[in-house]
Amino acid sequence: MTRPATRTATRTATRTHCPYCSLQCGMTLQPRGRTLEVQPWAEFPVNEGGLCRKGWTAGGLRGHRERLTSPLLRDRATGALREASWDEALDLLAGRLRALRAEHGPDAVAVFGGGGLTNEKAYQLGKLARVALGTSQIDYNGRWCMSSAASAGNRALGVDRGLPFPLADVEGTEVLVLVGSNLVETMPPAARHLDRLRENGGRVVVIDPRRTPTADRADLVLQPVPGTDLVLALGLLHLLDAAGAVDTAYVETRTTGWAAVKAAAAGWWPERVERVSGVPAAQLRELADLLAGAEKAMVLTARGAEQHAQGTATVLAWIDVALALGLPGRPHSGWGCLTGQGNGQGGREHGQKADQLPGYRMIDDPAARAHVAGVWGVEPDSLPGPGRSAYELLEALGTEDGAKALLVFGSNIAVSAPRTGHVVPRLEALDLLVVADLVMSETAALADVVLPVTQWAEETGTMTNLEGRVVLRERAVEPPAGVRDELALIADLAARVGSPVPFSTEAAEVFAELGRASSGGRADYAGIDHDRIRREEGVFWPCPSPEHPGTPRLFTERFAHADGLARFVTVEHAGPAEPVDDAYPLHLTTGRVLAQYQSGAQTRRIAELPDDGPFVELHPMLADRIGAHHGEPVVVTTRRGELKATARVVDTIRPDTVFVPFHWVGANRLTHDALDPASRMPEFKVCACAVRT
Amino acid sequence: MAATRLVEALVARDTGPVTLVGEERHAPYNRILLSAVLEGTHSRAAIGLGLPDGVDARLGTRVAEVDRSERELVLVDGERIGYDRLVLATGSIPSLPPVRGLVGLDGTLHPSVHTLRSLDDCDRLDAAVPHARRAVVVGGGLLGLQVARALSIRGLDVEVVEGGEHLMRGQVGPRAGSVLARDLTRLGSAVYTGARLIKLTEAGLVLDNGAVLADVDLVVLAAGARPAAALARRAGLAVRRGVLVDDTLTTSDPAIHAIGDCAEHAGRTHGTVGPAWEQAEVLASRIAGADPTYDGSRFVARLRATGLDVAVLGDRDAEGEVVEVTNPVVGSHRRLMVREGRIVAATLVGDLSRIGLITQHFDRGTVLGPHEPAALLTPDRPGAPVVLPDTAEVCACAGVTAGAVRACASFDEARATTRATTGCGGCSAAVRALLSTRTSTGPTLERTHP
Repeated sequence: MTRPATRTATRTATRTHCPYCSLQCGMTLQPRGRTLEVQPWAEFPVNEGGLCRKGWTAGGLRGHRERLTSPLLRDRATGALREASWDEALDLLAGRLRALRAEHGPDAVAVFGGGGLTNEKAYQLGKLARVALGTSQIDYNGRWCMSSAASAGNRALGVDRGLPFPLADVEGTEVLVLVGSNLVETMPPAARHLDRLRENGGRVVVIDPRRTPTADRADLVLQPVPGTDLVLALGLLHLLDAAGAVDTAYVETRTTGWAAVKAAAAGWWPERVERVSGVPAAQLRELADLLAGAEKAMVLTARGAEQHAQGTATVLAWIDVALALGLPGRPHSGWGCLTGQGNGQGGREHGQKADQLPGYRMIDDPAARAHVAGVWGVEPDSLPGPGRSAYELLEALGTEDGAKALLVFGSNIAVSAPRTGHVVPRLEALDLLVVADLVMSETAALADVVLPVTQWAEETGTMTNLEGRVVLRERAVEPPAGVRDELALIADLAARVGSPVPFSTEAAEVFAELGRASSGGRADYAGIDHDRIRREEGVFWPCPSPEHPGTPRLFTERFAHADGLARFVTVEHAGPAEPVDDAYPLHLTTGRVLAQYQSGAQTRRIAELPDDGPFVELHPMLADRIGAHHGEPVVVTTRRGELKATARVVDTIRPDTVFVPFHWVGANRLTHDALDPASRMPEFKVCACAVRT
Repeated sequence: MAATRLVEALVARDTGPVTLVGEERHAPYNRILLSAVLEGTHSRAAIGLGLPDGVDARLGTRVAEVDRSERELVLVDGERIGYDRLVLATGSIPSLPPVRGLVGLDGTLHPSVHTLRSLDDCDRLDAAVPHARRAVVVGGGLLGLQVARALSIRGLDVEVVEGGEHLMRGQVGPRAGSVLARDLTRLGSAVYTGARLIKLTEAGLVLDNGAVLADVDLVVLAAGARPAAALARRAGLAVRRGVLVDDTLTTSDPAIHAIGDCAEHAGRTHGTVGPAWEQAEVLASRIAGADPTYDGSRFVARLRATGLDVAVLGDRDAEGEVVEVTNPVVGSHRRLMVREGRIVAATLVGDLSRIGLITQHFDRGTVLGPHEPAALLTPDRPGAPVVLPDTAEVCACAGVTAGAVRACASFDEARATTRATTGCGGCSAAVRALLSTRTSTGPTLERTHP
């Protein structure tokens, strides 16, 4: 429910959170005429009033000429989209869905969600798929975000919560190791915690093939070949063990599996690591010495370490490092994942994932099925089993076994999927593509039905930030006429396709139901409600009852496995799925820039944010080799596609590697679709490429 | 180490029962780190490699002979073990130089003489170090230099005696060798090149140049190693320097393979772990039914010793064009040999700042541009301080230019009007600096400061 104050004439500013990344910076919104004024919310502890230019300008889509305000239907005869009423659009949609289901079975309809959707929407989307549509085919773009860290966290620690401590805890550690994170550009307000850590005498270590603005604020920078972070972790384990720096008391009382990891690490002496990773042995020793000499240390992984066909193994290796040093569960210490999307954390907890039910319950667990079916008021046997992961789901679209219809919420697949040259034809092969979005995204432009939905300032719902802190997004302004929020859309659609149970449209009610569904699960929200979040500036899960204070810090006493112990997991380096060769001699890696967010569907439309299009970052030595000049176009090719973009010649990148940001169409034509065996994460962060002028 | 790797790879591929026979009584360990254990950078317990479950390991015993007709091994205690496939990974044994007095009448080494090939050698040497003051290392190759550094760091006076004209003559040229000798001297050890030890007497060590090194407590022999091929030779397999194998790592008996230091492939024996592990992987795949072949290894050797930085890549007989930078003042020597744009060999002494990139280029056969080899040997120049133009962005978070900051009267004003410093906070120092100097290269501030 919205606070009355937001609608009164006194115009008290509405406290909410930024629509973009997983920090979920606190901000206040105040409508001023036709615009929406963003002001800092100084008390919110994650950002303490700091915002980046994306946050400052987030109001820019309010009243934007490109906002969609009417459902659109594609005219089969002309191929053009025409405006339609909600009733007409939903009737047509429901009719087509029922027909496809009747002809091909329930798995003919697939649902694709997003890590930017509120918890309530993500939950209802899972319920829509399992209860109203009866399909197993649901997954979401978070699979391409932090799923490798999720797999690794579950396996090693028994639960997946990005950070097991509040972000501000980093200020009190002695050594902070960032593996594949450029947080100064991707989540700038987080960097204030880094600076305070250094003011307190702590050290920051950055591991990245590029010397990023984050690396500029570090004490030690390691620039490995893309896809070799795992080897650095094994090398560190080797050196820490050799130096007697392993916390044997902790290892004995709180973990299992060290002996095998120790034996595997014995084979990774620094000079061998150097040969594989391209990181000089002396630098690895320097990092080992820093860690060995610290009482408190933190290892934080991000997409650079995770978006690999070996992403899960890579994160496991870094968790092994943290466990060997006895860090997880100790003050100002541990391992964590810097989640990317706004609700990357909550979006993965409540049933959008192909293999999970709300509260992180596994869909193939009979007890989990019984519990959730009970909350939903359906028979456990009526729930489908696990479906395909995101990329596999897309790859199957329009094929004999695959879905014939796809409903897309909060995702711009045509830009963000790996190997888009392969995925876009799959979207085009569908009988029915439905996209709910704010604007005509590249994916919406391919759709048969486009449904206009609310943006963040126009809706209420919860988000779970990278710390596992459940925060409240509050409605500050009325949505434009013709726009509906997804909860209303989902409930209406569920009824029209013949759902056996009704769906609520009220966010607070949906959240209460989500709480019951998650009760007893690993991500337990049962004790949280919207009002409590307002009072407490967020509540950390697990929070099983209203009396429970929430859990800012995990693992202080025990890990989430039944025996309370953490697992060391032995992993071995395999290297990138597509090694470089004579034809494609360079590593390609992708990432973000400060002024844009994800596929850019929102940020590219905000006038105040610079949009210079994609570029290719390359080292002067490489530029000289191929005759490229700063500011002039170059062509990047891989076995899957080609991109022409402006060269940026910088000495901050490895000379054997080029970088392309992924916010624009093109970068993902190049990327590789090899998947991690556990997380099904595609290998966005490395493939073989060639560059020419 | 070749055997351990092979066994791991076989078990991972589930190829059937594996028996491992090893002469050393210790569980498998990382031999190349023995000098690090001696030096003290590695704990003795940390070099164990472990064996996968399900391997029948017979440690501390020896194979007396191979009965090829019966396909059986005969151990020294008479036990016979049958095999379908036999893999020899017997490694190498230290070469003993022809020095009088080195070996006693009973065939054992003189009590002050050591080698460093096995963990037992390491333990024995380690135990002798606290009672010793002065040590001589015979051999100025990779192992010799590592041992010399280890003993020096343990507090001993160390002298290195190398028969060749310069150190590491097997891998590097004379310039690199002389830079190394200077480094070692600077680190407090004496180096004698072109000198051979000929006699061990009560008076001391006698060199062939007439010098006598007296009061030597420890002598460590590090004068190379040779493939341990005696068993293969006795079994009638084809042996030259090492046990001859083809591209399938098979000896002259189709049921017997050889990998690692004991094997000779294409006229070449190796003494490093890289090729041994590559061979182990290839052979394991073959035994598992795949058909890869071994076509040689790219040689990369790195000295592991505190204070000495050396990397040698490629074949010393390689031919090509040489780009070389030697700076005797700082004790560095870097040399790339390039053929058709690819690095075919390299020597880096004293400056390994680009090792991570050069090794990648070497291993991947990257075709470099004409200026690149020289650029690889030229360190990055530190940038000169620049005056920011007004158009330069100083606050990336809020997108604020230097000019916009300069137009403000105070830090607080800049913060309030431009939102600079309110995001990640990284530009605070730059904003303060801009406001304190208030100079400008652009036109805006020339107006405000006429």
